[in-house]
Amino acid sequence: MDSIVNHLVSTAPEPGHRITFARLDGDRSMDLTELYARSADVARHLRRQGIRPGDRVGILSPNRLEWVLLDLAALRLKAVTCGFESGKFDASAALLAKYDLAVLYTDRIAPTGAGAGADPLIRDIAELADVPATDDALGPVKYETDDHTTIKFTSGSTGEPKGLAASVGSIDSSITAVQGLFHHTDGDDLFVFLPLSLLQQRYWIYSALVYGHDVTVSTYEAAFSALKRVRPTVVMGVPGFFETAKKQIEGQVRRSGAEVPSAARLLFGDRIRYLWTGSAPASAAVLTFFNDTAGLPLFEGFGLNETCIVSKNHPGAHRQGSVGQVLPGKEILLDEDGVVSVRMDYPVNTRYEYATPEAQRIFQPGGIVRTGDLGYVDEDGFLYIRGRADDVIVLDNGKKVIVRPIEERMRTSPAIEECVLFCPTQTYLVAVVSPARQPADTDVIAAHLAAANAALAKDERIRKVIVAEPGFTIDNGLLTSQYKPRRQQIFERFRSAILDNQEGIHA
Amino acid sequence: MPDIPTIVRERLAEVLDDVPADDVDLDRDMADDYGLTSLNKVLFLTAVCDETGVGLSHFTERDLDVMRTGNDVVDALGRVAAA
Repeated sequence: MDSIVNHLVSTAPEPGHRITFARLDGDRSMDLTELYARSADVARHLRRQGIRPGDRVGILSPNRLEWVLLDLAALRLKAVTCGFESGKFDASAALLAKYDLAVLYTDRIAPTGAGAGADPLIRDIAELADVPATDDALGPVKYETDDHTTIKFTSGSTGEPKGLAASVGSIDSSITAVQGLFHHTDGDDLFVFLPLSLLQQRYWIYSALVYGHDVTVSTYEAAFSALKRVRPTVVMGVPGFFETAKKQIEGQVRRSGAEVPSAARLLFGDRIRYLWTGSAPASAAVLTFFNDTAGLPLFEGFGLNETCIVSKNHPGAHRQGSVGQVLPGKEILLDEDGVVSVRMDYPVNTRYEYATPEAQRIFQPGGIVRTGDLGYVDEDGFLYIRGRADDVIVLDNGKKVIVRPIEERMRTSPAIEECVLFCPTQTYLVAVVSPARQPADTDVIAAHLAAANAALAKDERIRKVIVAEPGFTIDNGLLTSQYKPRRQQIFERFRSAILDNQEGIHA
Repeated sequence: MPDIPTIVRERLAEVLDDVPADDVDLDRDMADDYGLTSLNKVLFLTAVCDETGVGLSHFTERDLDVMRTGNDVVDALGRVAAA
Protein backbone atom coordinates (compact mmCIF):
# COMPACT_ATOMS: atom_id res chain seq x y z
CA MET A 1 0.00 0.00 0.00
CA ASP A 2 1.80 3.14 -1.15
CA SER A 3 -0.64 5.83 -0.03
CA ILE A 4 -3.07 5.74 2.86
CA VAL A 5 -5.12 8.61 1.44
CA ASN A 6 -5.36 7.05 -2.02
CA HIS A 7 -6.33 3.75 -0.45
CA LEU A 8 -9.04 5.53 1.55
CA VAL A 9 -10.62 7.12 -1.49
CA SER A 10 -10.43 4.08 -3.71
CA THR A 11 -11.07 1.05 -1.54
CA ALA A 12 -14.01 0.15 0.68
CA PRO A 13 -13.05 -1.25 4.09
CA GLU A 14 -13.42 -4.92 4.84
CA PRO A 15 -16.59 -5.67 6.85
CA GLY A 16 -16.41 -6.64 10.49
CA HIS A 17 -15.08 -3.51 12.17
CA ARG A 18 -17.11 -0.75 13.69
CA ILE A 19 -17.13 2.93 14.42
CA THR A 20 -18.99 4.04 17.55
CA PHE A 21 -20.09 7.57 18.32
CA ALA A 22 -20.37 8.11 22.05
CA ARG A 23 -22.41 10.95 23.47
CA LEU A 24 -23.80 11.59 26.91
CA ASP A 25 -27.23 10.44 25.78
CA GLY A 26 -25.98 7.16 24.34
CA ASP A 27 -23.87 5.42 21.75
CA ARG A 28 -24.44 4.83 18.08
CA SER A 29 -22.46 2.24 16.21
CA MET A 30 -22.15 1.07 12.62
CA ASP A 31 -19.94 -1.16 10.54
CA LEU A 32 -17.16 0.71 8.77
CA THR A 33 -18.59 -0.48 5.46
CA GLU A 34 -21.78 1.44 6.25
CA LEU A 35 -19.77 4.52 7.19
CA TYR A 36 -17.90 4.32 3.94
CA ALA A 37 -21.06 3.89 1.87
CA ARG A 38 -22.73 6.80 3.63
CA SER A 39 -19.71 9.00 3.04
CA ALA A 40 -20.17 8.34 -0.68
CA ASP A 41 -23.79 9.49 -0.38
CA VAL A 42 -22.63 12.68 1.33
CA ALA A 43 -19.99 13.17 -1.37
CA ARG A 44 -22.69 12.97 -4.05
CA HIS A 45 -24.81 15.36 -2.02
CA LEU A 46 -21.94 17.85 -1.85
CA ARG A 47 -21.35 17.50 -5.55
CA ARG A 48 -25.03 18.26 -6.21
CA GLN A 49 -24.52 21.36 -4.06
CA GLY A 50 -21.80 22.41 -6.46
CA ILE A 51 -18.72 21.39 -4.47
CA ARG A 52 -15.79 20.66 -6.77
CA PRO A 53 -12.19 19.50 -6.28
CA GLY A 54 -10.19 22.16 -4.44
CA ASP A 55 -13.25 23.80 -2.90
CA ARG A 56 -13.03 24.44 0.80
CA VAL A 57 -15.64 22.82 3.04
CA GLY A 58 -15.82 24.32 6.53
CA ILE A 59 -16.84 22.20 9.52
CA LEU A 60 -17.69 23.88 12.81
CA SER A 61 -19.11 21.32 15.17
CA PRO A 62 -18.26 19.08 18.10
CA ASN A 63 -17.42 15.46 17.31
CA ARG A 64 -20.30 13.58 15.69
CA LEU A 65 -21.09 11.15 12.89
CA GLU A 66 -21.76 13.89 10.36
CA TRP A 67 -18.27 15.35 10.98
CA VAL A 68 -16.69 12.08 9.94
CA LEU A 69 -19.03 11.63 6.96
CA LEU A 70 -18.22 15.11 5.74
CA ASP A 71 -14.48 14.63 6.11
CA LEU A 72 -14.50 11.35 4.20
CA ALA A 73 -16.87 12.78 1.58
CA ALA A 74 -14.57 15.74 1.00
CA LEU A 75 -11.62 13.38 0.62
CA ARG A 76 -13.56 11.41 -1.97
CA LEU A 77 -14.29 14.60 -3.93
CA LYS A 78 -10.81 16.05 -3.51
CA ALA A 79 -12.37 18.97 -1.72
CA VAL A 80 -10.41 20.54 1.16
CA THR A 81 -11.81 20.44 4.68
CA CYS A 82 -11.35 23.30 7.11
CA GLY A 83 -12.06 22.02 10.62
CA PHE A 84 -12.83 24.79 13.08
CA GLU A 85 -12.76 24.06 16.76
CA SER A 86 -16.22 24.31 18.22
CA GLY A 87 -16.66 27.27 20.52
CA LYS A 88 -13.70 29.15 19.08
CA PHE A 89 -15.32 30.45 15.91
CA ASP A 90 -18.71 31.87 14.95
CA ALA A 91 -20.72 30.47 12.07
CA SER A 92 -20.88 33.64 10.06
CA ALA A 93 -20.52 35.13 6.62
CA ALA A 94 -17.27 36.63 7.87
CA LEU A 95 -15.87 33.15 8.53
CA LEU A 96 -16.89 32.06 5.02
CA ALA A 97 -15.19 35.07 3.51
CA LYS A 98 -12.04 34.99 5.62
CA TYR A 99 -11.24 31.36 4.84
CA ASP A 100 -12.63 31.23 1.29
CA LEU A 101 -15.18 28.56 2.18
CA ALA A 102 -17.53 27.22 -0.48
CA VAL A 103 -19.84 26.03 2.28
CA LEU A 104 -19.83 25.77 6.07
CA TYR A 105 -21.53 22.94 7.93
CA THR A 106 -22.23 23.66 11.58
CA ASP A 107 -24.37 22.77 14.54
CA ARG A 108 -24.39 26.46 15.55
CA ILE A 109 -27.85 27.30 14.32
CA ALA A 110 -29.04 30.76 15.17
CA PRO A 111 -32.83 30.95 15.61
CA THR A 112 -32.99 34.05 13.46
CA GLY A 113 -30.55 36.28 11.71
CA ALA A 114 -27.01 35.03 11.30
CA GLY A 115 -26.05 31.38 11.20
CA ALA A 116 -27.55 28.41 9.42
CA GLY A 117 -30.75 29.28 7.62
CA ALA A 118 -29.82 32.90 7.09
CA ASP A 119 -26.97 32.32 4.65
CA PRO A 120 -27.45 29.52 2.12
CA LEU A 121 -23.76 28.68 2.39
CA ILE A 122 -24.06 28.07 6.15
CA ARG A 123 -25.78 24.76 6.52
CA ASP A 124 -26.98 22.58 9.36
CA ILE A 125 -24.55 19.69 9.72
CA ALA A 126 -27.42 17.49 10.93
CA GLU A 127 -28.86 17.44 7.41
CA LEU A 128 -26.00 15.14 6.39
CA ALA A 129 -27.38 12.35 8.56
CA ASP A 130 -30.33 11.93 6.23
CA VAL A 131 -28.78 12.26 2.81
CA PRO A 132 -30.61 9.84 0.49
CA ALA A 133 -28.59 6.97 -0.94
CA THR A 134 -27.99 7.19 -4.66
CA ASP A 135 -25.77 5.11 -6.91
CA ASP A 136 -24.44 7.59 -9.43
CA ALA A 137 -20.71 7.10 -9.83
CA LEU A 138 -18.33 9.30 -7.88
CA GLY A 139 -15.47 8.79 -10.27
CA PRO A 140 -11.86 8.01 -9.45
CA VAL A 141 -9.79 10.37 -7.35
CA LYS A 142 -6.03 10.33 -7.23
CA TYR A 143 -3.85 12.35 -4.84
CA GLU A 144 -0.24 13.33 -5.30
CA THR A 145 1.99 13.56 -2.24
CA ASP A 146 2.06 17.36 -2.32
CA ASP A 147 -1.71 17.73 -2.67
CA HIS A 148 -3.50 19.03 0.41
CA THR A 149 -6.61 17.46 1.90
CA THR A 150 -7.30 19.77 4.80
CA ILE A 151 -6.34 22.99 6.49
CA LYS A 152 -5.36 22.80 10.13
CA PHE A 153 -5.73 25.84 12.30
CA THR A 154 -3.00 26.14 14.87
CA SER A 155 -4.24 27.20 18.26
CA GLY A 156 -0.82 28.71 18.88
CA SER A 157 0.27 30.45 22.01
CA THR A 158 -0.32 33.94 20.65
CA GLY A 159 -2.57 35.80 18.29
CA GLU A 160 -4.94 34.69 15.57
CA PRO A 161 -5.00 31.07 14.46
CA LYS A 162 -2.74 30.38 11.53
CA GLY A 163 -3.84 28.10 8.69
CA LEU A 164 -1.71 25.16 7.67
CA ALA A 165 -2.68 23.04 4.68
CA ALA A 166 -1.60 19.44 5.32
CA SER A 167 0.00 17.46 2.54
CA VAL A 168 -1.02 13.97 1.56
CA GLY A 169 2.58 12.84 1.88
CA SER A 170 2.73 13.96 5.52
CA ILE A 171 -0.52 12.17 6.33
CA ASP A 172 0.56 8.98 4.58
CA SER A 173 3.99 8.88 6.17
CA SER A 174 2.71 9.62 9.69
CA ILE A 175 -0.05 7.01 9.68
CA THR A 176 2.23 4.40 8.12
CA ALA A 177 5.00 5.07 10.63
CA VAL A 178 2.65 4.90 13.62
CA GLN A 179 1.16 1.66 12.36
CA GLY A 180 4.66 0.24 12.18
CA LEU A 181 5.11 0.95 15.88
CA PHE A 182 1.73 -0.01 17.33
CA HIS A 183 0.30 -2.55 14.87
CA HIS A 184 -3.33 -1.55 15.38
CA THR A 185 -5.38 -4.48 14.22
CA ASP A 186 -8.50 -6.61 14.62
CA GLY A 187 -9.53 -6.50 18.28
CA ASP A 188 -8.31 -2.96 18.82
CA ASP A 189 -10.71 -0.11 19.53
CA LEU A 190 -9.06 3.33 19.46
CA PHE A 191 -10.83 5.92 21.61
CA VAL A 192 -10.86 9.50 20.32
CA PHE A 193 -12.44 12.37 22.22
CA LEU A 194 -10.27 15.36 21.31
CA PRO A 195 -11.81 17.55 18.59
CA LEU A 196 -11.86 16.12 15.10
CA SER A 197 -10.81 19.58 13.94
CA LEU A 198 -7.36 18.38 15.04
CA LEU A 199 -6.24 16.38 12.01
CA GLN A 200 -4.37 13.80 14.04
CA GLN A 201 -7.59 12.69 15.70
CA ARG A 202 -8.95 11.81 12.26
CA TYR A 203 -5.89 9.65 11.61
CA TRP A 204 -7.36 7.00 13.86
CA ILE A 205 -10.51 6.84 11.74
CA TYR A 206 -8.41 6.57 8.59
CA SER A 207 -6.36 3.88 10.33
CA ALA A 208 -9.51 1.91 11.19
CA LEU A 209 -10.71 2.04 7.58
CA VAL A 210 -7.36 1.01 6.13
CA TYR A 211 -5.95 -1.44 8.68
CA GLY A 212 -9.20 -2.95 9.99
CA HIS A 213 -9.92 -2.19 13.63
CA ASP A 214 -12.66 -0.50 15.63
CA VAL A 215 -12.65 3.16 16.55
CA THR A 216 -14.79 5.17 18.96
CA VAL A 217 -15.40 8.89 18.58
CA SER A 218 -16.66 10.54 21.74
CA THR A 219 -17.57 14.03 22.68
CA TYR A 220 -15.25 15.61 25.21
CA GLU A 221 -18.03 15.66 27.80
CA ALA A 222 -18.92 11.99 27.38
CA ALA A 223 -15.36 10.68 27.41
CA PHE A 224 -15.12 9.45 31.00
CA SER A 225 -18.58 7.91 31.09
CA ALA A 226 -18.09 6.29 27.67
CA LEU A 227 -14.77 4.63 28.51
CA LYS A 228 -16.44 2.13 30.82
CA ARG A 229 -19.07 1.22 28.24
CA VAL A 230 -16.82 1.10 25.21
CA ARG A 231 -13.85 -0.69 26.82
CA PRO A 232 -11.32 0.62 24.28
CA THR A 233 -7.84 -0.82 23.86
CA VAL A 234 -6.18 2.55 23.18
CA VAL A 235 -7.04 6.03 24.48
CA MET A 236 -5.75 9.11 22.69
CA GLY A 237 -5.40 11.96 25.19
CA VAL A 238 -3.40 14.97 26.25
CA PRO A 239 -1.46 15.25 29.53
CA GLY A 240 -4.25 17.27 31.16
CA PHE A 241 -6.68 14.43 30.58
CA PHE A 242 -4.37 11.86 32.12
CA GLU A 243 -3.64 14.21 35.02
CA THR A 244 -7.37 14.40 35.76
CA ALA A 245 -7.73 10.65 35.36
CA LYS A 246 -4.87 10.12 37.83
CA LYS A 247 -6.62 12.23 40.44
CA GLN A 248 -9.87 10.39 39.85
CA ILE A 249 -8.18 7.00 40.25
CA GLU A 250 -6.40 8.14 43.41
CA GLY A 251 -9.72 9.38 44.80
CA GLN A 252 -11.31 6.02 44.05
CA VAL A 253 -8.46 4.26 45.83
CA ARG A 254 -8.93 6.49 48.90
CA ARG A 255 -12.68 5.94 49.00
CA SER A 256 -12.83 2.23 48.31
CA GLY A 257 -9.45 0.91 49.38
CA ALA A 258 -9.08 -0.66 45.95
CA GLU A 259 -5.66 -1.28 44.45
CA VAL A 260 -4.55 1.32 41.91
CA PRO A 261 -4.58 -1.07 38.90
CA SER A 262 -8.16 -2.15 39.57
CA ALA A 263 -9.30 1.46 40.12
CA ALA A 264 -7.59 2.37 36.84
CA ARG A 265 -9.43 -0.41 35.04
CA LEU A 266 -12.67 0.83 36.56
CA LEU A 267 -12.11 4.18 34.84
CA PHE A 268 -10.56 3.10 31.54
CA GLY A 269 -12.15 -0.31 31.10
CA ASP A 270 -10.42 -3.66 31.26
CA ARG A 271 -8.99 -3.93 27.76
CA ILE A 272 -6.42 -1.12 27.64
CA ARG A 273 -3.35 -2.04 25.61
CA TYR A 274 -1.78 1.39 25.91
CA LEU A 275 -2.51 5.10 26.40
CA TRP A 276 -1.26 7.76 23.97
CA THR A 277 -0.26 11.26 24.98
CA GLY A 278 1.38 14.18 23.24
CA SER A 279 0.80 17.85 22.34
CA ALA A 280 2.30 19.02 25.62
CA PRO A 281 4.80 17.60 28.09
CA ALA A 282 3.43 15.03 30.52
CA SER A 283 4.69 15.40 34.06
CA ALA A 284 7.00 12.79 35.50
CA ALA A 285 4.37 12.07 38.17
CA VAL A 286 1.72 11.22 35.58
CA LEU A 287 4.08 9.05 33.54
CA THR A 288 5.26 7.16 36.60
CA PHE A 289 1.73 6.72 37.90
CA PHE A 290 0.36 5.11 34.75
CA ASN A 291 3.44 3.18 33.68
CA ASP A 292 4.65 1.92 37.04
CA THR A 293 1.69 1.99 39.41
CA ALA A 294 -1.50 1.63 37.39
CA GLY A 295 -0.09 -0.87 34.95
CA LEU A 296 -1.35 1.08 31.93
CA PRO A 297 1.47 1.96 29.54
CA LEU A 298 1.39 5.68 28.76
CA PHE A 299 3.48 6.53 25.71
CA GLU A 300 4.63 10.08 25.25
CA GLY A 301 5.59 11.50 21.88
CA PHE A 302 6.59 14.71 20.19
CA GLY A 303 5.30 16.65 17.25
CA LEU A 304 3.94 19.97 16.11
CA ASN A 305 1.17 20.87 13.73
CA GLU A 306 3.94 21.89 11.37
CA THR A 307 5.76 18.55 11.55
CA CYS A 308 3.05 16.06 12.43
CA ILE A 309 4.30 13.18 14.63
CA VAL A 310 8.08 13.27 14.94
CA SER A 311 8.90 10.76 17.66
CA LYS A 312 6.99 8.34 19.83
CA ASN A 313 7.62 5.91 22.63
CA HIS A 314 6.00 2.56 21.92
CA PRO A 315 5.97 -0.99 23.24
CA GLY A 316 9.13 -1.89 21.32
CA ALA A 317 11.17 1.13 22.42
CA HIS A 318 10.13 3.03 25.51
CA ARG A 319 12.32 5.24 27.65
CA GLN A 320 10.32 7.18 30.20
CA GLY A 321 11.10 10.89 30.26
CA SER A 322 12.00 10.85 26.59
CA VAL A 323 9.54 11.48 23.78
CA GLY A 324 10.67 8.36 21.99
CA GLN A 325 12.78 7.52 18.99
CA VAL A 326 12.36 9.43 15.77
CA LEU A 327 9.91 8.02 13.24
CA PRO A 328 10.95 6.92 9.75
CA GLY A 329 10.85 9.83 7.34
CA LYS A 330 11.82 12.35 10.02
CA GLU A 331 15.22 13.54 11.14
CA ILE A 332 16.25 15.62 14.15
CA LEU A 333 18.72 18.44 13.60
CA LEU A 334 20.20 20.23 16.60
CA ASP A 335 21.86 23.60 16.38
CA GLU A 336 24.68 24.74 18.66
CA ASP A 337 22.21 25.90 21.29
CA GLY A 338 20.36 22.59 21.25
CA VAL A 339 17.32 23.94 19.43
CA VAL A 340 15.47 21.12 17.69
CA SER A 341 14.68 21.33 13.99
CA VAL A 342 12.90 18.56 12.15
CA ARG A 343 13.60 17.53 8.59
CA MET A 344 10.79 15.68 6.88
CA ASP A 345 10.80 13.51 3.76
CA TYR A 346 7.23 14.71 3.25
CA PRO A 347 6.76 18.16 4.81
CA VAL A 348 3.34 19.09 6.09
CA ASN A 349 3.79 22.37 4.23
CA THR A 350 6.33 25.06 3.62
CA ARG A 351 4.23 28.04 4.67
CA TYR A 352 1.24 29.13 6.71
CA GLU A 353 -1.86 30.78 5.44
CA TYR A 354 -3.35 33.76 7.27
CA ALA A 355 -0.08 34.47 9.04
CA THR A 356 2.45 37.25 9.33
CA PRO A 357 5.78 37.07 7.47
CA GLU A 358 7.52 36.71 10.84
CA ALA A 359 5.53 33.56 11.57
CA GLN A 360 6.74 31.97 8.32
CA ARG A 361 10.29 31.86 9.65
CA ILE A 362 9.56 28.52 11.28
CA PHE A 363 9.76 26.97 7.80
CA GLN A 364 13.24 26.57 6.37
CA PRO A 365 14.45 25.27 3.02
CA GLY A 366 14.74 21.53 2.52
CA GLY A 367 11.59 20.47 4.36
CA ILE A 368 12.93 21.68 7.71
CA VAL A 369 10.87 23.15 10.53
CA ARG A 370 12.55 24.91 13.44
CA THR A 371 10.50 23.79 16.42
CA GLY A 372 11.83 26.25 18.98
CA ASP A 373 12.14 23.41 21.48
CA LEU A 374 15.38 22.62 23.24
CA GLY A 375 16.39 19.00 23.22
CA TYR A 376 18.96 16.31 22.82
CA VAL A 377 19.12 12.78 21.50
CA ASP A 378 20.67 10.06 23.65
CA GLU A 379 23.00 7.34 22.47
CA ASP A 380 20.07 5.05 21.63
CA GLY A 381 18.23 7.62 19.57
CA PHE A 382 15.65 8.70 22.15
CA LEU A 383 14.72 12.36 21.92
CA TYR A 384 14.42 14.44 25.08
CA ILE A 385 12.75 17.85 25.15
CA ARG A 386 14.03 20.20 27.86
CA GLY A 387 11.85 23.22 27.19
CA ARG A 388 11.27 25.98 24.71
CA ALA A 389 14.17 27.96 23.33
CA ASP A 390 12.16 31.08 23.93
CA ASP A 391 11.69 29.87 27.51
CA VAL A 392 15.39 30.31 28.10
CA ILE A 393 15.87 33.40 30.16
CA VAL A 394 19.21 35.13 29.92
CA LEU A 395 19.88 37.04 33.10
CA ASP A 396 21.85 40.26 33.14
CA ASN A 397 24.77 38.31 34.60
CA GLY A 398 24.84 36.19 31.44
CA LYS A 399 23.50 33.09 33.15
CA LYS A 400 20.95 31.14 31.10
CA VAL A 401 17.99 29.68 32.95
CA ILE A 402 15.76 27.03 31.35
CA VAL A 403 12.40 27.65 32.91
CA ARG A 404 10.55 24.40 32.23
CA PRO A 405 12.25 22.23 34.90
CA ILE A 406 11.62 25.00 37.43
CA GLU A 407 7.97 25.27 36.39
CA GLU A 408 7.63 21.50 36.63
CA ARG A 409 9.08 21.58 40.11
CA MET A 410 6.48 24.15 41.14
CA ARG A 411 3.69 22.07 39.62
CA THR A 412 4.51 19.13 41.85
CA SER A 413 2.66 20.96 44.64
CA PRO A 414 -0.92 19.71 45.06
CA ALA A 415 -1.93 23.36 45.44
CA ILE A 416 -0.57 24.36 42.02
CA GLU A 417 -2.20 23.35 38.76
CA GLU A 418 0.04 25.29 36.40
CA CYS A 419 3.07 27.56 36.65
CA VAL A 420 4.65 30.01 34.23
CA LEU A 421 7.87 31.89 34.94
CA PHE A 422 8.78 35.41 33.85
CA CYS A 423 11.86 37.50 34.27
CA PRO A 424 10.62 41.07 34.03
CA THR A 425 13.90 42.86 34.60
CA GLN A 426 16.46 40.21 33.61
CA THR A 427 17.51 39.93 37.21
CA TYR A 428 15.07 37.63 39.02
CA LEU A 429 12.27 35.16 38.33
CA VAL A 430 8.58 35.70 39.03
CA ALA A 431 6.14 32.79 38.89
CA VAL A 432 2.48 33.13 38.01
CA VAL A 433 0.66 30.05 39.24
CA SER A 434 -2.81 28.81 38.51
CA PRO A 435 -3.99 27.29 41.79
CA ALA A 436 -5.38 23.78 41.88
CA ARG A 437 -8.52 25.13 43.52
CA GLN A 438 -10.16 28.35 44.57
CA PRO A 439 -9.55 29.92 46.94
CA ALA A 440 -5.87 29.21 46.56
CA ASP A 441 -4.03 27.63 49.46
CA THR A 442 -1.40 30.34 49.78
CA ASP A 443 0.27 28.75 52.80
CA VAL A 444 0.93 25.55 50.90
CA ILE A 445 2.13 27.51 47.88
CA ALA A 446 4.47 29.59 50.04
CA ALA A 447 5.90 26.47 51.67
CA HIS A 448 6.40 24.87 48.29
CA LEU A 449 8.10 27.98 46.99
CA ALA A 450 10.55 27.86 49.89
CA ALA A 451 11.23 24.16 49.34
CA ALA A 452 11.70 24.63 45.59
CA ASN A 453 14.10 27.53 46.07
CA ALA A 454 16.12 25.50 48.56
CA ALA A 455 16.71 22.88 45.88
CA LEU A 456 17.44 25.30 43.03
CA ALA A 457 20.65 27.01 42.00
CA LYS A 458 20.95 30.65 43.00
CA ASP A 459 19.99 32.09 39.59
CA GLU A 460 17.07 29.68 39.27
CA ARG A 461 15.36 30.76 42.45
CA ILE A 462 11.94 32.38 42.29
CA ARG A 463 11.65 35.70 44.04
CA LYS A 464 7.87 35.81 44.26
CA VAL A 465 4.71 33.99 43.20
CA ILE A 466 1.61 35.65 41.79
CA VAL A 467 -1.48 33.53 42.31
CA ALA A 468 -3.85 33.81 39.34
CA GLU A 469 -7.43 34.23 40.45
CA PRO A 470 -9.32 32.99 38.57
CA GLY A 471 -6.85 30.42 37.35
CA PHE A 472 -5.82 29.65 33.78
CA THR A 473 -8.62 28.21 31.68
CA ILE A 474 -9.33 27.80 28.01
CA ASP A 475 -12.39 30.01 28.42
CA ASN A 476 -10.47 32.93 29.88
CA GLY A 477 -7.88 32.71 27.14
CA LEU A 478 -4.94 31.76 29.36
CA LEU A 479 -4.72 28.15 28.11
CA THR A 480 -4.68 26.92 24.53
CA SER A 481 -7.23 24.31 23.50
CA GLN A 482 -4.55 21.74 24.24
CA TYR A 483 -4.09 23.06 27.79
CA LYS A 484 -0.81 24.82 27.19
CA PRO A 485 -0.38 28.09 29.08
CA ARG A 486 -0.46 31.14 26.81
CA ARG A 487 2.56 32.95 28.17
CA GLN A 488 2.09 36.27 26.47
CA GLN A 489 -1.56 36.53 27.51
CA ILE A 490 -0.69 35.50 31.06
CA PHE A 491 2.00 38.17 31.21
CA GLU A 492 -0.38 40.82 29.89
CA ARG A 493 -3.14 39.78 32.31
CA PHE A 494 -0.86 39.89 35.37
CA ARG A 495 1.61 42.50 34.18
CA SER A 496 1.03 44.95 37.02
CA ALA A 497 1.27 42.27 39.70
CA ILE A 498 4.42 40.82 38.11
CA LEU A 499 6.08 44.23 38.07
CA ASP A 500 4.80 45.44 41.44
CA ASN A 501 7.27 44.49 44.17
CA GLN A 502 4.57 44.59 46.82
CA GLU A 503 2.35 41.99 45.16
CA GLY A 504 2.48 38.23 45.51
CA ILE A 505 3.92 35.61 47.82
CA HIS A 506 7.55 36.47 48.42
CA ALA A 507 10.29 33.95 48.96
CA MET B 1 -36.13 10.63 46.47
CA PRO B 2 -32.41 11.08 47.20
CA ASP B 3 -31.24 14.24 48.93
CA ILE B 4 -29.82 15.77 45.77
CA PRO B 5 -28.45 19.02 47.29
CA THR B 6 -26.49 17.07 49.91
CA ILE B 7 -25.10 14.67 47.34
CA VAL B 8 -24.11 17.55 45.04
CA ARG B 9 -22.40 19.33 47.93
CA GLU B 10 -20.53 16.19 49.02
CA ARG B 11 -19.39 15.17 45.56
CA LEU B 12 -18.35 18.73 44.74
CA ALA B 13 -16.37 18.92 47.98
CA GLU B 14 -14.70 15.67 47.03
CA VAL B 15 -13.55 16.88 43.64
CA LEU B 16 -12.41 20.19 45.14
CA ASP B 17 -10.28 18.21 47.60
CA ASP B 18 -10.01 20.57 50.53
CA VAL B 19 -13.35 22.40 50.69
CA PRO B 20 -15.54 20.84 53.40
CA ALA B 21 -18.95 19.82 52.14
CA ASP B 22 -20.67 22.16 54.59
CA ASP B 23 -18.70 25.10 53.17
CA VAL B 24 -19.66 24.45 49.55
CA ASP B 25 -21.86 27.28 48.33
CA LEU B 26 -24.21 25.91 45.70
CA ASP B 27 -24.80 29.38 44.28
CA ARG B 28 -21.17 29.94 43.36
CA ASP B 29 -19.85 29.35 39.85
CA MET B 30 -18.12 25.99 39.87
CA ALA B 31 -15.50 27.00 37.30
CA ASP B 32 -14.86 30.65 38.07
CA ASP B 33 -15.21 30.52 41.84
CA TYR B 34 -14.04 27.01 42.67
CA GLY B 35 -11.62 26.46 39.78
CA LEU B 36 -13.40 23.31 38.61
CA THR B 37 -11.92 22.22 35.28
CA SER B 38 -14.25 21.03 32.56
CA LEU B 39 -12.98 17.48 32.86
CA ASN B 40 -13.46 17.53 36.63
CA LYS B 41 -16.95 18.89 36.07
CA VAL B 42 -17.74 15.85 33.95
CA LEU B 43 -16.32 13.52 36.60
CA PHE B 44 -18.27 15.32 39.33
CA LEU B 45 -21.53 15.04 37.40
CA THR B 46 -20.88 11.39 36.66
CA ALA B 47 -20.44 10.72 40.38
CA VAL B 48 -23.60 12.67 41.28
CA CYS B 49 -25.62 10.83 38.66
CA ASP B 50 -24.31 7.46 39.88
CA GLU B 51 -25.29 8.23 43.46
CA THR B 52 -28.69 9.78 42.77
CA GLY B 53 -29.65 7.12 40.27
CA VAL B 54 -30.30 9.76 37.63
CA GLY B 55 -28.71 8.55 34.43
CA LEU B 56 -26.17 10.87 32.87
CA SER B 57 -27.78 9.88 29.59
CA HIS B 58 -30.72 12.17 30.40
CA PHE B 59 -28.47 15.11 29.62
CA THR B 60 -26.84 16.41 26.50
CA GLU B 61 -23.48 18.06 26.11
CA ARG B 62 -25.23 21.43 25.94
CA ASP B 63 -27.14 20.73 29.17
CA LEU B 64 -23.77 20.27 30.88
CA ASP B 65 -22.47 23.47 29.38
CA VAL B 66 -25.17 25.57 31.04
CA MET B 67 -24.77 23.98 34.47
CA ARG B 68 -22.62 26.71 36.01
CA THR B 69 -23.44 26.41 39.72
CA GLY B 70 -24.15 23.59 42.11
CA ASN B 71 -27.77 24.67 42.20
CA ASP B 72 -27.96 24.40 38.40
CA VAL B 73 -26.99 20.76 38.87
CA VAL B 74 -29.49 20.27 41.69
CA ASP B 75 -32.28 21.76 39.56
CA ALA B 76 -31.41 19.73 36.47
CA LEU B 77 -31.25 16.44 38.38
CA GLY B 78 -34.38 17.31 40.33
CA ARG B 79 -36.35 17.82 37.14
CA VAL B 80 -35.32 14.42 35.82
CA ALA B 81 -35.89 12.67 39.15
CA ALA B 82 -39.37 14.16 39.43
CA ALA B 83 -40.37 13.24 35.88
